[in-house]
Amino acid sequence: MQGGTSVRLYGLEWLKESARISKVFDLLVAAILFLAVSGAFHLHYMLTAGDWDMWIDWKDRQWWVTLTPIMAITFPAALQYVFWTKFRLPIAATFAVVCLLFGQWINRYFGFHLWSYFPMSEVIPALLIPGALVLDVALLLTGNCLFTAMSGAFAFALLFYPANWFWLAPYRLPVEVMGQLVSVGDYISYAFTRTALPEYIRLIERGTLRTFGGHSAIIASFFSAFVSILMYLAWWHIGMLLARVVTTPNTLKNFMGLTDKDEPAETAQKAIDGTSLQGRFAAVE
Amino acid sequence: MRTFCFRKSSCVRVILSAAAAIMQIGILTLVPDAALAHGERNQEPFLRMRTAHFYDVKWSTNEIPVNGEIVVTGKFRLFPIWPVNLPLPEAAFLGNGTPGPVLARTESYINGVPAIQSTKLELNRDYEFKTVLKGRVPGHHHVHPMINVMGAGPLLGPGNWLTVTGNESDFKLPIKTLSGETIDNLETWGLGRVFFWHGLWVAIAIVWLVWWLRRPLLLPRFRALTEKGGDRSQLVTSTDRLFGAGLLVATILIVFFGFQATDTAYPRTVPLQGSRATVEPLPEVPEQVKVVVNKSNYDVPGRSLRMNVTLTNSGSTSAQLGEFLTSNQRFINHEVSQAMATVDPNYPKELLPPNGLKVSDSRPLKPGETKTVDIEAADAAWETERLSSLINDPDNTLGGLLFFYDEHGKRTISNVSGPMVPVFTDPDNRTAENPKGGPG
Ligand SMILES: [Cu+2]
Repeated sequence: MQGGTSVRLYGLEWLKESARISKVFDLLVAAILFLAVSGAFHLHYMLTAGDWDMWIDWKDRQWWVTLTPIMAITFPAALQYVFWTKFRLPIAATFAVVCLLFGQWINRYFGFHLWSYFPMSEVIPALLIPGALVLDVALLLTGNCLFTAMSGAFAFALLFYPANWFWLAPYRLPVEVMGQLVSVGDYISYAFTRTALPEYIRLIERGTLRTFGGHSAIIASFFSAFVSILMYLAWWHIGMLLARVVTTPNTLKNFMGLTDKDEPAETAQKAIDGTSLQGRFAAVE
Repeated sequence: MRTFCFRKSSCVRVILSAAAAIMQIGILTLVPDAALAHGERNQEPFLRMRTAHFYDVKWSTNEIPVNGEIVVTGKFRLFPIWPVNLPLPEAAFLGNGTPGPVLARTESYINGVPAIQSTKLELNRDYEFKTVLKGRVPGHHHVHPMINVMGAGPLLGPGNWLTVTGNESDFKLPIKTLSGETIDNLETWGLGRVFFWHGLWVAIAIVWLVWWLRRPLLLPRFRALTEKGGDRSQLVTSTDRLFGAGLLVATILIVFFGFQATDTAYPRTVPLQGSRATVEPLPEVPEQVKVVVNKSNYDVPGRSLRMNVTLTNSGSTSAQLGEFLTSNQRFINHEVSQAMATVDPNYPKELLPPNGLKVSDSRPLKPGETKTVDIEAADAAWETERLSSLINDPDNTLGGLLFFYDEHGKRTISNVSGPMVPVFTDPDNRTAENPKGGPG
């Protein structure tokens, strides 16, 4: 430690200038990552659980509760691998769902509300933050993907319904419409019509799960929790795969008679012939 | 979210928003509907000629202020020669083809049964519908009654231009719940709770993120993990673990007590209602006039459909052919005054071809009489409505309804259907550009 020119970060010595540049780099990456994850996670989520998330009359006690955590734990799990193993940052799940929520509110407000006239009460996105916080803390405390899956991923799905009920309940009040009993949410979607999304398209609870006195949300939550464990592990490993940096030697260069200075010509020739596969791919962890 | 016409800007705007919406709608809705996203005229002719035929459609008015009401009534028949590639109407829904929810639907009925749920419908039967629409977004909107059929998509009725005047912000849709709450406006109901709860959790999430993000991040942490001399205990400290554990407990407590408080605030709630309605069709009326198509041609240069048909009147009163209805186009026989009298002044002009229906012998059929006549429906609508593209369809059977009137003005309806043979050239040198013929 030499006074004014260097600084210690996590036990390692850094030039002050390098530390400063590194901070700028952090900000740039954070901004890019925020937009990239917002876009990619949003797209993935819309394609898999989109209708349930979009419409107030799709948020049922069976399909919505089952599918949403299973489809939403994907990006958090993959990002947790990268954030935790490369940087020891237990914030990936929270970061991912905040990005998702940001994308959803932008899309609902500008796309659905202002552009397509839907009232906000018809198109509110689900809230995933409580489950994500627990998932992050589970990884922080256990430091292990298997234990995180069994505790955090399980809780991620179990917390989903109770955490959303707070805002959803007013839309499940009973009303009488044309002499029929429906929920406020049913009537909102009936009144503010979707031309190409008729009632029968809805994949919602239409029967009974025949147990727990009709509390189908509880069964759905537990089922979702078990699948979320598997989903979490699968996507943790997808994160692992995607985080690998794979390079291939530039064989074209060799065709043109050029070789790397420090690479024997013989190895380069082997790579061209394909006799040495190891020479062709070098994985950098 | 969608509309089915390109005529004026409000419809175009919605086509654009439909394109945006496709990005947003889940894959489940994207797949069955994508083929129909470009307007009513892009639906294949066999789809429009042989599914739902809407008739007697009336609009109580076509201009209302915001919060004003339009009642749309009418009937539809599901054509018996239903396209083989479409599923039967096992689940159908009385829809409302609008450019987004510019009008709020407050009530709708099929044969008097509330149409908030889907229902099964039967082929070759007639149904009466009624939809009550409340003005919401000011503008000039093209609105169709329609039937959505599971697997077959939207089947559109006649579209009409409805004008809404006033201020959008004046719109209100109030309702009283069965548990006693008074809702002033469903558009904004519950949003206070939504914003509070979403805001609270976003704030907590930001605290958690900032807790970590305020430190030197990527490269310093990566180096500390991978290089000799890096101090991992500084990457995650015991304070961090303690803070995390506290957050974990707080999260679970907030969710738990939030859930409890919600249950206390709203003790009576119901799940989404997903039953099916049961609707009986209107009583069956036997066809008074049996129609056999001997030959039918579509004259491409002349833009006209010609049919040679044998009509047999099996009723006890006379029958005079007054109208041919297909694809929401009403070809009316101008020689039959009862048929002319059925045209409502609010009925969209573009759905009434000016030449109407020409019948070689318009005299009434006496009871028991059989007669063979030529009928011709000639209009540019065949081209502008893209019905002539029937010649490009794998199923080129045409279909429609014929309306007959007796001497007392009573109407009976017969189905008409047959293969269609195109005529591409004709001896008079008529072309699409020169429909009158003569030396070109
Ligand atoms: Cu239209």
